[in-house]
Order: sequence, then structure tokens, then C-alpha cells
Amino acid sequence: MNNPPSLPSHLLQSAAVRDRFTRLKQREVILEVKHLGKQFTSAQGTVTALKDINFKTHRREFVCVIGPSGCGKSTLIRILAGLESYTSGEALLDGEPIVGACAQRGMVFQGYTLFPWLTVKKNVMFGLEMNDHSKTTAEREALQWLELVGLSKFADAYPHQLSGGMKQRVAIARALANQPRILLMDEPFGALDAQTRAKMQSHLLEIWKNIDITILFITHDLDEAIFLADRILVLKAHPGEVQELIEVPVPRPRNFMQITSPEFLATKARLEALIHPPKVEDDDEAQIRPHMIRMARVGDDVEDVE
Amino acid sequence: MNSTVIPIAPKAVVAKPGWTDSWFAVRKELTPRSRVALIVGSFLLPILIWCAFSYLPFVWHPMMRISDPGSVSYFAPDMLVDKDVFRDETKTAKQNGTALPQGSGANPIYLPAPHQVAKALYTAFTTAPERKDGQWLHESLWHSVQIIFWGFLASSVIGVPLGILCGTYNVLSRLTEPFIEFFRYLPAPAFGALAVAILGIYDGPKIAIIFIGTFFQQVLIVANTTRKLDIALLEAALTLGAKKIQLLFRVVIPGILPDLYRDQRILLGWAWTYLIVAELIGTSSGITWFITQQARYKNFENVYAAIIIIGIIGLVTDLLLAALGKWLFRWERSPNKA
Amino acid sequence: MKQSISSICKHWLHRLALPLALSAALPAAAAPLKVGYSDWPGWVAWQVAIEKGWFKEAGVDVQFEWFDYVASMDAYAAGKLDAVTVTNGDALVTGANGAKSVMILINDYSNGNDMIVGKPGIKSLKDLKGKKVGVEMGFVDHLLLLNGLEKAGMKESDVTLVNSPTNETPQVLASGGVDAIGAWQPNSGMALKLVPGSKPIYTSADEPGLIYDVLAVNPSSIAAHKAEWQKVVKVWYRVVDYIYDPKTHDDAVKIMASRVGVPAAEYGALMGGTKILKIDEAKTAYQKGTSFKSIYGSSKLVDDFNVKYEVYKTPQAIDSYIDPSFTSGL
Repeated sequence: MNNPPSLPSHLLQSAAVRDRFTRLKQREVILEVKHLGKQFTSAQGTVTALKDINFKTHRREFVCVIGPSGCGKSTLIRILAGLESYTSGEALLDGEPIVGACAQRGMVFQGYTLFPWLTVKKNVMFGLEMNDHSKTTAEREALQWLELVGLSKFADAYPHQLSGGMKQRVAIARALANQPRILLMDEPFGALDAQTRAKMQSHLLEIWKNIDITILFITHDLDEAIFLADRILVLKAHPGEVQELIEVPVPRPRNFMQITSPEFLATKARLEALIHPPKVEDDDEAQIRPHMIRMARVGDDVEDVE
Repeated sequence: MNSTVIPIAPKAVVAKPGWTDSWFAVRKELTPRSRVALIVGSFLLPILIWCAFSYLPFVWHPMMRISDPGSVSYFAPDMLVDKDVFRDETKTAKQNGTALPQGSGANPIYLPAPHQVAKALYTAFTTAPERKDGQWLHESLWHSVQIIFWGFLASSVIGVPLGILCGTYNVLSRLTEPFIEFFRYLPAPAFGALAVAILGIYDGPKIAIIFIGTFFQQVLIVANTTRKLDIALLEAALTLGAKKIQLLFRVVIPGILPDLYRDQRILLGWAWTYLIVAELIGTSSGITWFITQQARYKNFENVYAAIIIIGIIGLVTDLLLAALGKWLFRWERSPNKA
Repeated sequence: MKQSISSICKHWLHRLALPLALSAALPAAAAPLKVGYSDWPGWVAWQVAIEKGWFKEAGVDVQFEWFDYVASMDAYAAGKLDAVTVTNGDALVTGANGAKSVMILINDYSNGNDMIVGKPGIKSLKDLKGKKVGVEMGFVDHLLLLNGLEKAGMKESDVTLVNSPTNETPQVLASGGVDAIGAWQPNSGMALKLVPGSKPIYTSADEPGLIYDVLAVNPSSIAAHKAEWQKVVKVWYRVVDYIYDPKTHDDAVKIMASRVGVPAAEYGALMGGTKILKIDEAKTAYQKGTSFKSIYGSSKLVDDFNVKYEVYKTPQAIDSYIDPSFTSGL
């Protein structure tokens, strides 16, 4: 490993960035989570999945949630989507407690979850129709959303004919079509290859910039979190607790050149320190110690051992 | 890390894939030509075995067909006797110096040769019924098809919705499935007498047996198929604002349709297996009457002809349904892109 | 092709539904007398009258339904038939189990068609001592066997009985698992055919009248339709004449053979073992007596047999099962 050059603190913000955060925090609170906790009983006894989670998300904010496996980030977003229950505390959307799933909180899943029997257009129309829009309105709006994600040409294709990235664009369009107050995204680009992933990240930022939407985005990719987020909620595991809420000092608009900027690297270093603290091995992977045996023959034309 | 991994490179021999590689590649699709060849072969092979047993005297032929009874009192022309008996009688005749019986190797009466069955197949369809109230074979078959159709339809009308509901709502599943699990082990034909008492002697009880034979399996299978629907699709629908009934009609049902369709095809096959017992109940009718009556008089070539007809009807129906399914569920093709 | 799918569906539904609806509607329409008959020469003979339309000529509405023998008794027991063709013994069995009937017509008695068939080497019942015999227990050929053993001075315990469904007896004998079987035609004939060298060692021809084959009618139907049943009986004797008339015999056999689906020649050979009774012979059989010559005597002996072998528990009132008036009234 090469020694990192000395980095500024991630807490250091340029004037423009500081100004942005001040304005952001003045905006109305869309999502408020207060002392949220979830316990469940398993064969091993009572497990605390989430413990005393507190945070606020402001309008048009982009929040990423990051943490090691087992920190309950998926549980958190599923609770917010209304797909899972919680056992203590409160989760409020526009001040109203979250009960069950509804179109106010749109969700994009890692596994696309497009309806395979519906065409791309009908997939996007689905939510609108569920919410009592007429077929013509739904169709008109669906086409607009498809245009936004650049898939107008594929309106009549079936999901199986699309690539992973295209599928996820449809899923985003489908969720946005309902014009939810908040868009919950559960590792949406986790299954994509690096290139598609980068494209989708920029694309998501484009969309976010152009419409009034608040996004809560789960990821385990540090670069992705820094690249996308205004603030990053860092969770730790066993039990899942908030470790830190980081304000990302990287100025907007973002681009991939920034990835080597001091702010970026500083934030990343901080995240790394939080998520991969030295000497703490928190998962089963750490138990596996491969024992390498050199299996090449002496005369084989292979690289020498260093 | 103390070492770099270097895989052992196989001593590179660039071999042309031999036929064993192309035919016996694990789980690899075959070329269209070899597929066709195999389909033909799958039918040809049993037929060839059957031909071998029928036409090659050294393969089996445990009997002798008498052509000349000679001096054996109970032999008659065209009679089938065990080879042992024939040998003993020939020996006795030789010792007594009387006329020797003549005959040639033959198979038992219950294994007719392919050409006999083919002939029976042809005559069965071309022979007009001798009685006024008699039926052509195709009319008998049509009657059987109707029994299956109505039994299967009745079963599906109740069984499919119930199965979907059981697969969707645990409360219904717990309420009905234990009893259905119990009932499906009860042999459907055992309800024959009850079915006759309630539904009369005509088609009613026969349809009822098909129904009983199909229904209970159907509920369980459909429920299971429904449960296999990816729950993420339901969750996605929920986050899009779908309500309970919409979830059922807009997600569950369309989502399971292709699998449901496949289930129904398999279940229809099962319904056919109940036909023979169903048609033995009440008045004799349909293809079963033909089979049992011909078997009673040991006209096995007719029996085999009828069995083959049932097989052909089943196969053709299934192929048609498969093609229809492919067309109906175009959206379900396996993804050709990542 | 501008036909919509739904109209095609409708078309096919109609095609499927019509015959079904028709067959369901028929019994309700006029409520003819419904008779179940099955594969026995004496009963297949009814086919002549059906084919020739003689019931219509006689002005009686009868509907004959073709069954497997056991299925016909089930249908009668379930109250779905006005009458059924059975042996006198089975009429008692069905009656003892709740479906009472009255035998208003004797079609025939078995005259050789019921057989005990011994495998090669078994030449008489005496050879069966200590051997195995395949019969369907409680059915007529069980009775035939006992009757024969008794005549040969043997007891049932002298042989080992193997319970075998009658229609499988040919295969049972061919398998070599038993030394003899008891069966009626066509099974007995098939056994002879299937096992060369096998011989009938005792047949119903050795005890004529052991098994009578009859038309057994529901008493309430007799009460309600006495005149019609009388006409049915009358038509029967027209059939008997047709069969016995040398000029028409072949035609009768042809009609009967077509009912069971075998060539006429093959069927003609089976008929010898069935003695179809002419009217005066039937009248004689309807006279009271204690021997097999009388249906009363025959039925009494079957009744004893059935009680002894626990086919049913209580002896039946034989007289109430027999009504000679329809035959004697002709």
C-alpha cells in the first residue's frame, strides 16, 4: 500500500458547500426517524436488528445509508417503505407515522422487481393505475417518465428483453411515476457491472436534479455513497446503530473527476475508518484463511514467486 | 499471503470435440438436428424393441402355434401351447409312433405383433358399428374426452381459485389444506358406489371420479405454485400503492399464470389416468368399455390399439397446449441479455 | 377467419355440452323402465329385442343400459334401475343388503358355461384333493365347486380356495399358481384357451338349475307398472322364439355377438353352455320344488350357501323373491 498523502479533515467544507448545507437544513423535513428500534425473536433468542436510530431527511436531500453487513440497513429501508414493522420509536413522513406500504414512499429494489408479464410502459403505468388514474392519464404520464429515463423506444418491450441497467431505469421510472414524497432505493445498482453502474449513478443524479424528489439510498459502496449523497448515514452492526452522520464536503454538481479530490478522499478515509476499523473482524469472511500452495511445475513458463 | 496462485494449465491438446462431447455435454442444449433425431428415436426405440420381440423367433417366443395337431388329441390348429408342453407331446408321439404335431414359435396372446395392432387400429376406425345403438370408435373416444373435459373443468373451476387463495392467504391454507392432504390419499374409485347413488348411472358419477381424482391434488399444487411467486413482486406492488384485491388480481394471478398453465397441463394428464376407473362406474361407455370388453375376450391387438389411441390423444393435446402456452406467455422467454 | 376466440370457445362448449345435456335429459323426459344388463348370453339375448325395436312394437317404453355385471348390481342397489339381470343367488345377496327385488322372468340356466377348469393332468374333482382352486368366493362358481365336491363325496376342506376375481381366473390358471379355477363364460372358455390341455372337470351342465339367470325387478316398479312388465316378459319370449327358430338363429347370434364386440362365430360357441328356457320350460322351473329343477329349490340351496359362507347373515324369504305370475300369465 502506498501511503496516502496527508488529507484535510472531511469536516472541512468550502464556503459554497457550507452554504448549501445551511439552506438544505432550512428546508422542510420530509422524513423523521425518532428512536426507531426493531427486535425480533429467533431460535438464538432476542435479536436487536436496529437500536435507537435517529435522523431527519430534508426535502430534495439525497441521503445514503452505509454500513457493514448486518447493520440492518436493509431492515431500516424496508421499515420506512412499510414492508416491515418496528418495535419501538417512530418513523414519520411529513409528520405522519408510517403504517404499511403506500405510493407516498416509492421503492426501487436491487432485484429490479419489474412485472415480467407487463410491457415496459405498462410497468410504469402500474402504480398510476393502482392510484386511480385513468388509463389514458397513466399512459401519457408513463411515456413521459420513460422519456426521462431514456427508454421511450422500449415502451412495448417486455422486461426479459432489457439489460440490467435498462431494467433498473424502468424500475426508477415506475417508482417516480407515482410522484412519491420520498424515493427509497435498496442497493439498486448492486447487481450491475462497474460501467453500467457509473452510468446509472450519473443518470440518477440528473433525474434528482430535475425533479423535486428526496432520496434515501442504501449502498455498501463507499465511492457510490460519496458520489451521490448530500449526507451519509453510517450504521454499525450488532446491533444496528447510527455511528455517524457525515456531511459530504464534495461540491455539486458532481462528476467522476472529483473522485481524486481531497474532499472526496478525506470523506472516503473517514468512512473507511468507520466501516473497516482496524483489527475488528466482524463477519464470517474473516474466519476463512486460505492456504496457498504453489501448484505450478518447475519448468512451467509462469511468473516467479516474489 | 505467502504465495501466488498459479493454476495448473492442462497440457494443451486442442482436440476437436468428439461426438461424446457434443451429445453428452452436461445440461447443454443440443443442435436442432440432433434434437429431432432424438425425438424420433425416443419413439423408434421402443417400437424396434417391440418388433424384435415380435418378429425375431430367437428373442422370446415362449409358445408354439399349432399348425397341425398331429395325433395330440387336445391340440387344434392355431392353438397356442407352451414350448415345454409341445416338446413333451412330440416326444410322446414319437415314442408311440403316431403323427407328430407341427407348429412354430409364437408369443403369448397378450403380446400381439405391431402389424396386428396397426391393423386393429385401422379396422377399429373403419368398421361401422353393427348395432343400431352401437357407436363408432371415434364416438366412444369422443364420449371419453367429454368425461375428462367436464371432470377437469369442474375441478378447475373450484380448484384453481381455491388453490390461488390458499397460496395467497395463510388463513385459508391452514383451514383447508390439512383436510385436503388427508383426502387426496383416499382412492377416488372407492367413491364409485356413492357417486352412482347420488349422480345416477350415466356420466355424472364418471365425471365425479375424474373430479375427485384431480381436485385435491390441484388445490395443493396450485397453492404451492402461488406460494412460489417472488414475494419481491408483491412488495414492489405494495410500494406502488396496490391494495389487497389489486394485489391478487393484478400481481398474484398474472404472475403465476405460466406456472399455473403448466400445472394444469400436468393435472390434465393425471385426469386421463383416472378415465379407466371412472368409466367402469355406472353404464359401460367410452373407450374403457372397448378396452375391457376386448380384454375379456383376449383380443389384445384391439386393447393395444385403444391404448395407443389414448396415448396419441394425450400427446397431441399436450403438444398443442404447450404451443398455445408459448404463444400466450411470450413475455416469459428466458432472458437473452444479462 | 374473423371469428373471435370467445365465439370459437362457445362453439366448442356447445359441441361438448349438447350430447351431455341430451343424455342427462333423457331419463327425466319420459321415465321409461330402466333395465341394467350385462355380458352373459342369456341377458345379451335382450339385444335382439332392442335391435329389432320389439319393445316399441309391444307398446312399452324400456331402456336397457349396458353394464359390467358388478356395476349393474351396484346401480340397482343404489336405486338407479328399475330392474337388473342377475343370477338368482345374486338377487338374494342384493336383497339381503337392502335392495329387494322380485324375479319375474327366468332367462336361462347355466348349462355348462360355468365351469371348474382343471389344469393338464387334473381329470376329475377327485384329483383336486389337497390342491388349490381359484374362485371368487361367495359367487356362483364357488357354489358350483361345493356342489361338485359334495357329489364327489368330498368336503370344502379337501381343497384350498384361492380368492380370485372371476375375470382374472384365466391368468390365475395360466400362472400355474392354482390347480383349477371356477369361472363363468367367457372367462372359463378363455382359461381353456389360455392353458392348453386344461379341461372342464365339473360344469353347470352336471347340475342343471344350480344357477338360474333372471330379470329381477324392483317391487315398487312392479306395483306401479305391472302391465308394462307383463309386456316386457312377452317380448322376451318373442326373443326366445327368434333364437330357437333355425331360420333366424344366425341373425340372433350375430346381433348378440355385436353387443359384446366379438365375431359371431366366436360367440355362437359360447351359447351352447347356456340353456335359454322356452316358455313351458320356464313354467316348469317356476313350480315349487326342492330340487334344482325348480327356481325355488335352487334359490333355497343358494340361500343356505350364502348364510353358511356369511355372504349375508339372515336367511331370505325365498317366496317373496319369486313371482311366477308374469310367466304363467302368458
